[in-house]
Amino acid sequence: MRRAALTAALTAVAALTAATACTEDVTAPGHCPDFCPSGSINGVDTVLQTVVQRDSAFRGFVQPHEASSLLAATLPGVIDSRAIFRTLPIGDSLVVESGTTTMGEIVGVDSLTLALTITRRDTSAHNLTLVYYRLPLGIDSTTTFGGLAGSWTDSLRSLNVDSVYALAGHVDPLRGDSVFVDTTTHYVTVIAKLDSAMAPFVPADSGKVAFGVRVVADSRASVALGSVESGLGPRITWYAEVDSVGKDTVPRPASTSDQFDSFVFNLVSPAVDTTLDSTLAVGGMPVARSIMRFALPRAIRDSVQISRATLVLVTARPPEGVPADSFTLAAHGVLADFGAKSPLSPDASRVATTRVHIGIARGDTVRIEMTDILRSWQIDTLAPTTLALRQVPEGTEFPEIRFEPSTNTGLAPALHVTYVRRFPFGKP
Amino acid sequence: MRQAVRRLGGQAVRTALALLAAYPPNRLSAQDSQFSVRGLGVPGRWESVRARTTGGAFGPFDPRSSVADVSLTDALQLTATAAEATTYRRAEIGGSRDDLRSSRFPFMGLAGPLSRRFVVGGGFATYLDRTYSIVTRDSQMLRGAYAPYTDRIGSDGAVADLRFAAGARFRSWLAIGAGAHVLSGSSRQTAQRIYDDTTFLGTTQTAVVRYDGFGISGSVALDPVPAVRIVGYARSDDRLRTRLGDTETDRTDLPTTLGAAVRWSPSPSARVAGTVMWRSWSDAGGFNTTSWSAGAEVGAGPTPLRFGVRGGQLPFGPGTVAPTELGVTLGTGKGFSGNRALVDLGLERLVRTGGGLTETAWTVLVGLTIRP
Repeated sequence: MRRAALTAALTAVAALTAATACTEDVTAPGHCPDFCPSGSINGVDTVLQTVVQRDSAFRGFVQPHEASSLLAATLPGVIDSRAIFRTLPIGDSLVVESGTTTMGEIVGVDSLTLALTITRRDTSAHNLTLVYYRLPLGIDSTTTFGGLAGSWTDSLRSLNVDSVYALAGHVDPLRGDSVFVDTTTHYVTVIAKLDSAMAPFVPADSGKVAFGVRVVADSRASVALGSVESGLGPRITWYAEVDSVGKDTVPRPASTSDQFDSFVFNLVSPAVDTTLDSTLAVGGMPVARSIMRFALPRAIRDSVQISRATLVLVTARPPEGVPADSFTLAAHGVLADFGAKSPLSPDASRVATTRVHIGIARGDTVRIEMTDILRSWQIDTLAPTTLALRQVPEGTEFPEIRFEPSTNTGLAPALHVTYVRRFPFGKP
Repeated sequence: MRQAVRRLGGQAVRTALALLAAYPPNRLSAQDSQFSVRGLGVPGRWESVRARTTGGAFGPFDPRSSVADVSLTDALQLTATAAEATTYRRAEIGGSRDDLRSSRFPFMGLAGPLSRRFVVGGGFATYLDRTYSIVTRDSQMLRGAYAPYTDRIGSDGAVADLRFAAGARFRSWLAIGAGAHVLSGSSRQTAQRIYDDTTFLGTTQTAVVRYDGFGISGSVALDPVPAVRIVGYARSDDRLRTRLGDTETDRTDLPTTLGAAVRWSPSPSARVAGTVMWRSWSDAGGFNTTSWSAGAEVGAGPTPLRFGVRGGQLPFGPGTVAPTELGVTLGTGKGFSGNRALVDLGLERLVRTGGGLTETAWTVLVGLTIRP
């Protein structure tokens, strides 16, 4: 009986304790200074004008033949850029009949279709037209715009993308052209048909052909075509006539992709001069990066909590192009500071980006929010406080922006930082 | 049956001992208060639930409390006790009102005789409560515009008083007690700023601030007549050292405590007591305080009725006058298994005023005592 009473009592006490113990709310509005702690949170907002102490620009990170896009643009007074590519050979014979291994010699071609993928275009440019040229097979990474001057004189044909897309089924039944738009990626695939006169099969070349593509529109035109590096490179399909082992000829298709692609350009404006100077160049072609080295005050690196940090860059030379050429500018932390060869950090928290729009003027500021980067530098005190300014992705846009360097006092890169000083814990 | 009860009691004592050894000191806070925001904090109460429900008047006579070490001489068998307090507070200042609540385990104790005249004991009690959380709103000019923000500064913890004490009865009318007190504790402090504009990331700084100190106490009890006991007690604490990591950030002298109490037991079923205590908190940069209490316990047997009233001053507050507090208490108890297990229940109403702040609180007290 006593044991039962004791058990009941302990149970009741435990239940009462549990019912009342799990409650906590001690937060109340402060009535300062009488009923506030003696210490307070001290926020500071300041601009560090000389925090970038060494910087430099480097070019050549992505060459045209390495780019994931083939840039074609006709920007009068600025640049004239054209895509070039050479296809793989298909050999001198094809299978005569499906399911057999009997090969027949290619004795002629009926036609050829050339498929190009437009990965970026300016939707405000109407009557977007692709103009096709036949190029010599000897094109390579050293080929220049001027070196192909003779090839640009006569075009094979042109294809008005907007006109074909406006047709029923987006197909031109007369010329055999078609246009498809991927509703997910918005990529535009343009398939042009070239007859045997435009693209004759040369047995000595085993079907290798080289083409150049120029883009024009009612207004300034600028597009990016998929390259072999992006998996969206030009593709051709030969419609060949094959000797059916002495009996007759049969039509046979043979598809192949490009072996080499690149683009060549003619810089019309000095604004897109690729020569580097003391300014901080980013983007362009060949792609440029700028390396910036920060000398953070020790107090900021060690003793404060950063609420916001903004890198302020002053435009020294604005980018030129069409609105669709606007690009992403990234401040990318590096794993080690080896100058131009500094390996970029794979840590996403060490990358800060902003959008640079075409139309920005000289003297305008570009701001990059890099709070996470500064916080990561506070956590990892061994990390180099160096940033690489780069275009993302590189080699897909033509415009190049240049910023004032640290040597230009007053316009040098600055760091606008808002932080909270260390709280005076341990004081009554 | 008796063996079973003993076995159960032994388990309870072991549980209490484990709690004494393992329970983190920062949960030992006596009672949170907005008056703990400034200065060292709010002094804790070294009383069991039984003593506290008499307004604290029975504290110097209660062997389960740690007010006066000499009271241990009444612990004629091994006794373990613990208390839980849940407080519902309301703080009113400048027309605003905030309702707050918290639960604490402010007291644990263990005592037992080594011989018929010599008793030792110990336990935890709250020395200073350092729990609060203050939220303020303001704005700061940032990048050409005012950026509103919310600051939250908080402290969660306490300074605990770890007591080792002994009491001895030399005559039927004379007993003395002495104790050593290790002050130890910590508070987890937080300073947080959140901007309304989320482009400014919030900042949160935290630190664990540790405290340590040392004190000694002594007391004497006289029974001039069997129905009356008079207790005088004193305590001296040297300093409270505050450390942040390995760095000492503050060192504050702690007060001397002097107290006296009298209890009259006109019959076995009625006892009344009164006490007064003075503490030199000006040594710690506060106000010297005088506290008093009066209370009674009526009813013999396992279910007495207890009530009391207490008043006094708080050591820290704004202005030139010490904040004051006044409280009334009501409680009872219930014994089980031949009083081997005692459950004490109490309710306390407290009013604190000072510096324009009025703080009222209801506290539900639950105490458990095991005598295996």
